[in-house]
Amino acid sequence: MDYILNGFVEAFRLIFSFDPEIIQIVLLSLFVSFSATLYGTLIGVPLGIALGIHHFRGKKVVSRFLYTFMSFPPVIIGLFTALFLARSGPFGQFQLMYTPTAMIIAQTILVTPVIMGIVFNHASTSGYEVVQTGKTLGARRWDILILLVLELKAVIMIALVTGFGRAISEVGAVMIVGGNIRGFTRVMTTFIAMNNNMGQYSVSIAMGLILMSISFFTNSLLYHFILGDQNEYRD
Amino acid sequence: MNIETSHIKKIYKEKTVLSLDGQFSDLQFESGKIHGIIGPNGSGKTTLMKIIAGLIAPSSGAVLYNGQPLCQDIFSEMTYSTHTPTLFSRSVYQNIAYPLKIRKQEKNAIDQTVSQLLEEFEIDDIKDQSARHLSGGESQKIALARALSFSPKALFLDEPTANIDPKSIQIIEAALQKRNREQGLTIIIITHNLSQAFRICNHLTFLDQGSCLFSDTPEKIMTTSHSTIDEFISFNRF
Amino acid sequence: MKKKLSVLLVVLFVCTLAFSALGCTPKEKALEPGSNGEILLATTTSTQDSGLLEVILPDFEAQTGIAVKVIAVGTGKAMEMGKAGEADVLLVHARSQEDQFITDGYGVQRFDVMYNDFVVLGPKEDPAKVKTSAAADAAKAFAAIAAVPSTFVSRDDKSGTHTKELAIWKAANITPDGDWYLKTGTGMGETLTLTNEKLGYTLADRATYANMKDTMANLEIVCEGDQILNNPYGVIAVSPSINDQINADGAQAFVTWIISPETQKLIGSYEVNGDPLFIPNAVKK
Repeated sequence: MDYILNGFVEAFRLIFSFDPEIIQIVLLSLFVSFSATLYGTLIGVPLGIALGIHHFRGKKVVSRFLYTFMSFPPVIIGLFTALFLARSGPFGQFQLMYTPTAMIIAQTILVTPVIMGIVFNHASTSGYEVVQTGKTLGARRWDILILLVLELKAVIMIALVTGFGRAISEVGAVMIVGGNIRGFTRVMTTFIAMNNNMGQYSVSIAMGLILMSISFFTNSLLYHFILGDQNEYRD
Repeated sequence: MNIETSHIKKIYKEKTVLSLDGQFSDLQFESGKIHGIIGPNGSGKTTLMKIIAGLIAPSSGAVLYNGQPLCQDIFSEMTYSTHTPTLFSRSVYQNIAYPLKIRKQEKNAIDQTVSQLLEEFEIDDIKDQSARHLSGGESQKIALARALSFSPKALFLDEPTANIDPKSIQIIEAALQKRNREQGLTIIIITHNLSQAFRICNHLTFLDQGSCLFSDTPEKIMTTSHSTIDEFISFNRF
Repeated sequence: MKKKLSVLLVVLFVCTLAFSALGCTPKEKALEPGSNGEILLATTTSTQDSGLLEVILPDFEAQTGIAVKVIAVGTGKAMEMGKAGEADVLLVHARSQEDQFITDGYGVQRFDVMYNDFVVLGPKEDPAKVKTSAAADAAKAFAAIAAVPSTFVSRDDKSGTHTKELAIWKAANITPDGDWYLKTGTGMGETLTLTNEKLGYTLADRATYANMKDTMANLEIVCEGDQILNNPYGVIAVSPSINDQINADGAQAFVTWIISPETQKLIGSYEVNGDPLFIPNAVKK
């Protein structure tokens, strides 16, 4: 029991000492996960909308695949990405293993189905109706696109924040393709896992607290967007 | 806008949902009239409406608009509204202004049109509120105001006054009749409310189980002797 | 709403900018690390956990400008990485596997670097009475543990430690099996934590134990000093013929550096809590 309390005390001390190594690790985590979320959004949102608003044969199959990939274990994504990026793999010549780029790639693969799935789901229901209504009011292609994005604005934000949350808190993928190398590819989650292995609880707890605050912050954003949708109007 | 249908058939998932043949293979929806489509549930009313509104294609048969087949220009002069309208997540004012905005009208012109509509439908007090989460009556009035804002030539309504308060029904019917009278707006309306049908329609079409049983003036429907129609009317009239 | 969105985006943008500024390296160096490329050094978790590399690597990076990316995995994985050409140079402690590696043609040459020793750890209560009966005889200690049987925690991950552990069981003529023999499949640190929790026995390298002593209140050294417990480290440059991406020059530079007298001295001076953890033994040229 003692060492848990000590851990927290040590943790606060460490956080407020602004250790440059800790700061670097946190910033790298944010950079990797934010980038992955950005790419995931650029791919997942248009695809999710396009697939969602159209009725086509095999749509049920597509949605089943999509929902399966949404909850794919990160460690398996890391494994498969590593197979491709390894020196002996198809993309070996780019020497991407153990780099932040590899981590971004892996997390993008992780996050894109999540974002796409959420957008697809809403586009299939309310998105479809919005398109129909827009058409009956005389909207042409471009108008409909703008209309859709505006109507699905809250959903897109929810998808984004959910995707980011998933990225920042996973450890399996970044551990395998990143290698937790000090100064290069060490992020919050791999740092916590490693220090826990070494029995160094206070730094683990410190980093854990930082990670939880970031998680809390992004979830508050999510909450705000869901609530905001109900009361919002524009001028 | 004159609308004519010819031998319309719609098959959905191997079931014939709608089949207009025999005596009623060619239906006429004359310009400038208010046409009611009535009949029991599942008779194909919504299917027929969606086909003539250009939203779905028939499995066979044709629809002509002023003698022409459907094209984008004709389609943009028609509009469609259901009993559960999809309003955009923006203010009431912005919803109504939307069709005018995408037609690139001037701000002042838009403001004038929208203000008139807000007054006519008595929804001026909620014009800045979000259009979501409003009552049934308010939603319907907004949807209708929005649909009428760009002065379409044909209006298709699928049970526009189902489950809303009597005052709103009155306002909506008055708005419809006004435009029909003053601008010659062709209106085609599905309704379960027979009093409404008799109140505002110049022409009634009766569907039952995918077939048409009657298509003539409301007065004639009272004298027609068809068991299904008689049953339906006596059951629904009060 | 619009305002909050812009604030969020600005915050995130600033973060990524700040990262790019701070991100490259936390350490100050004479030569910009990575200016002359980088090498992938595959080593064991126990080597990394000892803290030695953090102390000596900056010297290499400053001298050569080559950045060292340390991948700490089990010996088994390090050897596999070497065979596949995924790493440029290996620093491991599993002599038999290393020799086989060279014989099979995967490595250029093996050099001695340093050695430390293993110790047998056990609970203070010492139910197998190792301290009294086998304080300097590893095989006898293992036999005593199996006789009770007391809980023994094995890394079971083809690591150098695991290889040594199996060699000791062999010397004691015992095949360990049963509920008392726990296999973690993980690194030294985690295995020690588990052993501490379970009040069991285990084999550990002295360096990791020294580093973790504070967090393991229940364990102490029950057997040490036996010849068989010596743990020699070898450095091997991976054969450049395996694939095109191997940084052969960088690997050679690393090997030359680590067996150089200056670095050897540096290794010998590394201490934790007053005890030197490694004894340098590269053959003087």
